[in-house]
Amino acid sequence: MTWRGATCLILRDRLARIGLLLLLVFAAAAAAGPWLWPHDAWQMFDAMLPPSAEHPLGTNDLGYDLLAELLQGARYSLALATVAALVSTLIGTGLGVAAGYYRNLGFVVMRVVDVFLSVPRFPLIVLMAAFARPGFLSLSAFFVLVGWPSVARMTRARILTERQQEYIVAAHATGVPGPRIVGRHLLPTVLPVAFARFIAEMQHIIVAEAGLSFMGLGDPTTRSWGMTLSHASRYPALLISNVWEWWALPPGLAITLFCLALAFLGLGLERLANPRLA
Amino acid sequence: MHKVAQFLLTVWLVLTLNFLLPRLMPGQPLADLDNPLASPLPLSQEARTRILAYYGLDRPLAVQYRDYLLGLMRGDLGWSIYYNAPVSQVLVGRLRWTLALVGGATLLYLLLGGLLGAVSAWRRGSVLDRTLLVATFATGAFPPFFLGVLLIVLFGVRLKWLPLGGAQSVTLLEGTWSQRAADVARHMALPVLALVLTNLADVYYLTRNSLVQVLGEGYITVARAKGLAERALLFRHALPNALLPVVTLAALRVGSVVMGAMLVEVAFAYPGIGLAISEASAGRDYPLLQGAFLVTMLSIMAANLLAEGLYVLLDPRLRRTS
Repeated sequence: MTWRGATCLILRDRLARIGLLLLLVFAAAAAAGPWLWPHDAWQMFDAMLPPSAEHPLGTNDLGYDLLAELLQGARYSLALATVAALVSTLIGTGLGVAAGYYRNLGFVVMRVVDVFLSVPRFPLIVLMAAFARPGFLSLSAFFVLVGWPSVARMTRARILTERQQEYIVAAHATGVPGPRIVGRHLLPTVLPVAFARFIAEMQHIIVAEAGLSFMGLGDPTTRSWGMTLSHASRYPALLISNVWEWWALPPGLAITLFCLALAFLGLGLERLANPRLA
Repeated sequence: MHKVAQFLLTVWLVLTLNFLLPRLMPGQPLADLDNPLASPLPLSQEARTRILAYYGLDRPLAVQYRDYLLGLMRGDLGWSIYYNAPVSQVLVGRLRWTLALVGGATLLYLLLGGLLGAVSAWRRGSVLDRTLLVATFATGAFPPFFLGVLLIVLFGVRLKWLPLGGAQSVTLLEGTWSQRAADVARHMALPVLALVLTNLADVYYLTRNSLVQVLGEGYITVARAKGLAERALLFRHALPNALLPVVTLAALRVGSVVMGAMLVEVAFAYPGIGLAISEASAGRDYPLLQGAFLVTMLSIMAANLLAEGLYVLLDPRLRRTS
């Protein structure tokens, strides 16, 4: 199936269409938002201003413009999730495909994967973040470290079924070299699985980053959705006044909507692969 | 046997990681402990001596490692800086609250998710099916702590039905047994609800899909053809088989529920392990942090191992092959 064909099919699913549209809106806001919005996320104004034309989401207790912070947060959270999920997917797919095709390598890689997968991810990330005050790069590295094994396991499983197919056997019989079979024939068949895992990884990273910040383990100098939420939650009168409506609600809803958009897109992909479920 | 060996290997790796991380991380978080001026917390001389003795930083790494493992075998997790008490003692008090949250939420989300999934599969393609799908996915997209905050605002602040946080009321500590049980339940309600709602989607969706597949199998058609009532067909023939993969999923999700519980505890100031980790990291209470990490890791891993055994018991087909 061509890429265009696949895209058309996905777009026929209503939930996938909603998901894709939302993702595009988020991507646009993250890319252009901090640049279009006149206030900078590190610029100070009067503290605790309620929403107004000048500050649509008001300002926080340090006087930062909350809309600027939300847009900057979108940039940070999306960049982190995309980079870390992409690197995990690339490493995982590479190892998974190689492990599926070359049996001996596969045995070794899969034992490592088994061990990695039986270590709970979130507590491990919490411990690493607690001892190395996290920045963008170290956080990405942590998420890649715990993210690649599940990609490797799923892509390998896909390769193991695919290599039984007659056209692969035929390619072997006619003397096509192994690397060429892997690259030309096997790699394309794992792309849907890898893409589905990429989406799931992004979901996990967005929530886990926000969770780390919420537990007080984020980088206090960055502007991420989780950091804004975490900062808001330390404000004593947050919930008993209506401050939370413009301070905690927007970043929380942004995380929720972004995860929902990813979930809908994943759902569309799954229905595409297995139409009986719709 | 293979599984048990792998489990032991992983336990050893986790223990070693827990030993190495604070010693090898850049920035040397422990290096400042013996420097009274650089320490982030004003430590008493006694506390500093205790911590230094526990980490034994002046001794060779191999000796430190041996003492660490021997200490763990005796249940010695070190001395909490903040509480000025043994870490194990602090954690035992915290663990029961986390266990209550995780246990209660797991039971409820499995029941509710399975039930809704079965309804959805039975009425496949209907408005109800589509509504349930979107609704469970929508609640599942919320970060657990953010949903917790929303629940506090709605049920705690606006409606004033339930307490805003904590695990029990100080005023009722002297009350009768039934008063205290009701009080604890009222404090648990919102955190558990937040966990159930955020974990529902996967179980719901898997039950639905699994049941849809099973309902298309030949033996279901045969059962229907011989005139079996629809209800018996669903509950006696289809559901038990459809629920098998759900057991595996529930085991895989233990880690995710615990992650949710850790975050929800912070949102509700619920005195479990998650709150302990958050407080410990804010106060740089490294022994408490590491103890909480070990207890969490080992509990999740033990739960996963148990679930795997349970799965083999439930599915006779696996017993024959292994």
